Amino acid sequence: MRSIVYYVREFLRPEWIRKFFSVKTAPLETPSYFKGYPTRTEKECTGCFTCMMICPAPGAIAVLRKKDEWEPEVYPGHCIRCGLCVEACPEGVLSSGRILDVTRRDRTAFASWYHLDVDDNLCMRCGNCCVSCPVNRQIDPQLAGTGTSASDEVIMRIEGGRVRILHMEKCTGCTTCETQCPNRAIRVARMVEGVQLGEAEA
Amino acid sequence: MSILQKIKNTVRSRSIHVSYVDVGSCNGCDIEVLACLAPRYDIEQYGIYVHNNPREADVLLVIGSVTPQWVDKLRDIWDKIPEPKVAVAIGNCPISGCVYARRGTLTSPPVEKYIPIAAQVPGCPPRPTEILNAILSVAPLIFKDYEEKQP
Amino acid sequence: MKKTVDVSVPLGPMHPCWKEPVRLKCETAGERVLKTELELGYMKKGIERIMRGRPWQEVMFLAERVCGICSVVHNMVFIETMEEISDIPVPPRAAYLRVVVNELDRMASHLIANFSYCYTIEHETLAMYLLNTREIVLDNLERITGSRINTAYMIPGGVRFDLLPEDAAAMLADLVKVEDEMKRYVRIFETGPLIALRSKGIGFMSREEAIRSHTVGPTARASGVEDSDLRLRHPTYQALDFKQITRTEGDNFARIMVRFQEVFQSIDLIRKCVETLPDGPIRGGGLCKAGEASYAGEAPRGELTYTIKTDEYGRVVDIAIRTPSIMNIEACAHTMIKGATSIADVTSTFISSDPCVACNER
Repeated sequence: MRSIVYYVREFLRPEWIRKFFSVKTAPLETPSYFKGYPTRTEKECTGCFTCMMICPAPGAIAVLRKKDEWEPEVYPGHCIRCGLCVEACPEGVLSSGRILDVTRRDRTAFASWYHLDVDDNLCMRCGNCCVSCPVNRQIDPQLAGTGTSASDEVIMRIEGGRVRILHMEKCTGCTTCETQCPNRAIRVARMVEGVQLGEAEA
Repeated sequence: MSILQKIKNTVRSRSIHVSYVDVGSCNGCDIEVLACLAPRYDIEQYGIYVHNNPREADVLLVIGSVTPQWVDKLRDIWDKIPEPKVAVAIGNCPISGCVYARRGTLTSPPVEKYIPIAAQVPGCPPRPTEILNAILSVAPLIFKDYEEKQP
Repeated sequence: MKKTVDVSVPLGPMHPCWKEPVRLKCETAGERVLKTELELGYMKKGIERIMRGRPWQEVMFLAERVCGICSVVHNMVFIETMEEISDIPVPPRAAYLRVVVNELDRMASHLIANFSYCYTIEHETLAMYLLNTREIVLDNLERITGSRINTAYMIPGGVRFDLLPEDAAAMLADLVKVEDEMKRYVRIFETGPLIALRSKGIGFMSREEAIRSHTVGPTARASGVEDSDLRLRHPTYQALDFKQITRTEGDNFARIMVRFQEVFQSIDLIRKCVETLPDGPIRGGGLCKAGEASYAGEAPRGELTYTIKTDEYGRVVDIAIRTPSIMNIEACAHTMIKGATSIADVTSTFISSDPCVACNER
């Protein structure tokens, strides 16, 4: 009996009755600060592959060459909407929620270094890494299918039956070689550091 | 169209029973489906009822990339749902495997390998409004004039 | 006289009360549960195997996806382990912001645990109230971090976004609303005679049993285990003068009430944090180095331990995660449910220990 009285009292509160009629039409629009899928701003993409380097989900973002310009493409169904690519992009090509504004105001950024190493015991000398590397292809479009190259400017090439790394400093850390390697022989170590610029300069 | 069919259409449009099965996700999509029950989103105002019982369900929400334990059991659950039925993949996991689709994983996405999927809701996790919209948009397409569409 | 037949009642893996697949096999005599067996393994994804050989910015997201309900604390404990390995200092402002986000996540987690319990004992009114309150908490989490569940807020040496003054004001206003509502709901829960029938004295676990079965978190605190909250050892919480909540009843009612009280405590902690929020940078930088460390933090469900070994480029070589739910679920199956006088109490007792199967199996 006591509980019945209790619930009748609970449901007869004016606040409850008001809510009963009003709560159904709650606003269901997505708030502006929600990190949605990254969208393109009008800034020009330079093809630095920072977004591919930092993306934690496999196959979520790819920077593609379309005619004369680079174009980052985000794949829903793979993208986990973490917003790291928006934060890491040095040009502000992508935008999601209010990350871009907040990052600019706080002057936060990611600094990164890369290290390539090849395990000679695992490497099969297939040359997949040299061919698939987007930086390699840019430097030497004539890169052969076996990974040999006449140019000395490429990051790595097949030389004397093994992969030789020539210019590690040109690596952008996009891990294309790592995903293309059939034997997990080439490894890209990506050291990323979250930094804030404002205090140091002021 | 017969009158019987019209009645069936009306009834089906207002009573959609949903069952969800977690085949190896991180729980995030799970609780976003639960959040649809909250008075703010109020899934029941559209006539959608969330039970977790496949035998009385019309819509099966599949959450998660498929773990080895679920490979055979998922098909069993799908067979237990009476016709007409529809499966909706919630989140990235059933679509692509999300962050688990890597070397060394035990999961075997996508879920389309095991049961037919009618709609996908990408996101990790999707917002409750996105889940609501997906169920609302896919359910009438399957259930309307179901008997007439049969060969 | 009728003969009582022993029946093994299987519950799960797909059960209306349970959000995740887990299987309980109850051996019963009539309505009395004699023995419970737990069958796990429906959610094994091999996260620790995937984590090996990856840098922190990928492992961070995998760690978050160990459990979607308490994702922030997994993120926090993983990052703090990495910081301990490589001696990265955290700016004071970032440390306070971490506590704010962690406590918001803890509130959301406790609210969904209590929602599940109320839903299981079929008190749907209170369950829906709690779920709606959780939405307000998630709004604030979203305002700070930009997403509702998997927030990816913390990075080594700081946090990703700053707390704006107008957001802090909006959050404090919302917290007043949440506190008012929660006070009413706790009164409903405490005084409801039907809730008392389903909760008080059901699923009892004594202090000795709790210690013997290694329970952690609110489950242990409800049985009166002192000094079981790892936030007591966290430097930021120590600065905020954190006190542990302990109850002595050890039944379903106590476990739910501990979570309710911790929600109020979280509100107080967030207020204290926002009041004393120091100025300064939110990121200090710092690279991950080689090393090995074990670090524990307090998840909403209890003690969470990460043991990590890294190589010289900051990649994770080996990792072991010890999540709280496994002890709680085992203790629940072997001590709380055993001797239950009704099959109907099995589900509610199991839910009252706040099981998280995704955490368990990874």
